[in-house]
Amino acid sequence: MNRRRRAITATLVTLAALWSAPAAAQTHDAPAARPADASPRAPLGELGRRIASAPAGSTIVVEPGVYREHLTIDRPLALVGRPGAVIDGGGSGDIIEITAPDVTVRGLTVRNTGIDLDKENAAVRVLAPRATLESLVLEDVLFGIDLREAPDSTLRGNTVGGKRLDIARRGDGLRLWRSDRCLVEGNTIHDGRDAIIWYSTGVTVRDNHGRDCRYGLHLMFSDSVTIESNRFENNSVGVYLMYSTGVEVRGNRLTGNRGPSGYGLGLKETDRFTVRDNLIAANRAGIYIDGSPFTASIPGTFTRNTVACNDVGVVFLPSARGNELYENNFIDNIDQIAVAGRGDLSANSFFKGERGNFWSDYTGYDLNHDGVGDFVHESQTLFENLMDRNPSLRLMLFSPAQQAIEFVGRAVPAIRPEAKFTDEVPLMRPVEITVSAPDAPAGAPAQAIGAALLLIVGGGLVGLARAGRSATGGVA
Amino acid sequence: MNAISAQAAALDQPVPRRAPSVPSTIAAVAGRSLRDAIRSRWFVLYTLAFAVLGLAVSFVSAAGAGGAGLSGFGRTTAGLINLVLLVVPLMALTAGAASIAGDRERGMLAYLLAQPVRRCEVLLGVYAGLAGALVASVCLGLGVCGAILAARGMRTGAGSMLWLAGLSIALALGMLSVGVLISVLARRASVAVGTAVFTWLLLVFVSDLALMAGAVAMRLRIQELLTLALLNPLQVFKMWSLHAADASLDVLGPAGLYALDTWGPWLHAVFGGCMLGWIVLPLVAAGLCFSRRSPL
Repeated sequence: MNRRRRAITATLVTLAALWSAPAAAQTHDAPAARPADASPRAPLGELGRRIASAPAGSTIVVEPGVYREHLTIDRPLALVGRPGAVIDGGGSGDIIEITAPDVTVRGLTVRNTGIDLDKENAAVRVLAPRATLESLVLEDVLFGIDLREAPDSTLRGNTVGGKRLDIARRGDGLRLWRSDRCLVEGNTIHDGRDAIIWYSTGVTVRDNHGRDCRYGLHLMFSDSVTIESNRFENNSVGVYLMYSTGVEVRGNRLTGNRGPSGYGLGLKETDRFTVRDNLIAANRAGIYIDGSPFTASIPGTFTRNTVACNDVGVVFLPSARGNELYENNFIDNIDQIAVAGRGDLSANSFFKGERGNFWSDYTGYDLNHDGVGDFVHESQTLFENLMDRNPSLRLMLFSPAQQAIEFVGRAVPAIRPEAKFTDEVPLMRPVEITVSAPDAPAGAPAQAIGAALLLIVGGGLVGLARAGRSATGGVA
Repeated sequence: MNAISAQAAALDQPVPRRAPSVPSTIAAVAGRSLRDAIRSRWFVLYTLAFAVLGLAVSFVSAAGAGGAGLSGFGRTTAGLINLVLLVVPLMALTAGAASIAGDRERGMLAYLLAQPVRRCEVLLGVYAGLAGALVASVCLGLGVCGAILAARGMRTGAGSMLWLAGLSIALALGMLSVGVLISVLARRASVAVGTAVFTWLLLVFVSDLALMAGAVAMRLRIQELLTLALLNPLQVFKMWSLHAADASLDVLGPAGLYALDTWGPWLHAVFGGCMLGWIVLPLVAAGLCFSRRSPL
């Protein structure tokens, strides 16, 4: 469009690269130019030239310094950064593109991609199989790591930090597209849109930490995926499984995922799944089940999870059937189990054999000490029923009127709603669960300080009044 | 009585040339009213009931968590909010209602007004003293709960207990204003206390149930429901403490989300304005009635 301007820009980029080349250990903070369009045809920088002249299978060591370049790696080699090696995209385009198989990129900081959502500007884009991306720090990026048809790749120990944009303008911190058998391990992704896996079979996602994104992890049409020991917190959704078969979700911590569609774990038309040993806490809805399992004859399994302190423990859409929930702990969810809209849960079971779940609101007892309550656990509070049917009534939560309604519901059997579900063998004690994902660091005992302060103020006032009385009494 | 006689003695002795300054008069009346309140039976009973019920809530919910190190908006905070909603308005309303009307019946008011004080100074002093007693009661009750929760390892947010206490005090002040207004208007103490209890019932149960019925039967829109709820100081307290202390307002479903969406950063101001209205307006009305009408 504007050739002259483009030529000038290209010259400036070359100059900047030449300038930075001999003194790579220095950091040049002032960019010589901000390239308006950095196409692969732009003149090569220092690293680009080294890659272009390197034989296949060699290792290129990147010395510390800031390299303002956009790289294409078109032959199998290893690009290894010494600490302090930074590749800066200058706010435009993709930064590293890998077009050859068996490429390793390790130990670099890659920062400052473009913000063009149409072109999906990415820090690292992989278009070939068996890439290894390790210990990369991606900062201020639109898309972080974008794997397109890159099976058998390994992503390990990377940190992806998105741009502080409105959520609709952000890109995916991590995206796998038709990339089977990849290993995603020990990565941290924050402030992105989604970490999403499309059409990829046999992927393992382990020990990752996702926070402040839209979807912590999103599966689309991806089968035989293992999601293990991850921590997803403060996202809109922790883990969402869609249209996938054979998914195992175990040992994860899904906490504080909130917002209008905030779920710890969501399942949409997913089959053959197992959800076990997870801690799902403080989300708007702990688990959201929509049309899962898709094939009702193969049960979906939820066992040994702790679902606690969520606004709603488990939300079932009326279409959900064939789920088995047993040996889970349902603790202090405001609404333990909810059915969105009308419907019942008779096609799902809340116990298996002689083992049900632990319910913190169970009111029965255990005379024969076998660990199983002597009465069935039924959830049938009138207010929950009203809330399920008319969500705007949630406004009245925690007000005494709620108790009044629940009392009326208990006292007058005629208006008592049908039980939503029945656990015939509720457990008397919580199941001991070891969640393999690491715990978030604990806060200081601020509560104790607050309590002490209150006691001092209260006691002080009483003391003051009493002392004042005796003093005036003495005078009088 | 001691205080009054002391005050009367103090007024007798030096024969002041100038009338005592306004703040000192208010402080003297407030001190007397605070001392009376703290030594009265209702203060001890309410504080004890508040603390004991709070303890029960804290123990039960801490036991349920199973020591999983959970942080979140659980039944603990919900239980405490519920408790505050029940006890604090009752305490403040009845204390306020009994104040002026009670003094009037016992002849204390005639004695007080015979001193060189203005009527509104007496009213403000009584209000301040009772407010001090209520602050003490709320702080003691919630402080005990907080100590128990801390000892049992509940990991709630840093200032959430302080927020809850502060907002409870704001609610108490608002309800005290209403109580004082009732007290000024009523001719007899028993009528005042009865009216206060009825007002409490109205605010705690009737208005919420009516709103719920309205939401279901008349299909009120979300914003209408929210606006109506904001007229009730108890709902304001509840929403504010949810917003400030622990959870996000989306706990409250569509209405909460609507509030977050529309007011976002102004939510504190909105809730604060509503609460301030409930504190100031009834008190001003009480002041006007008290100084215009014959107080005895």
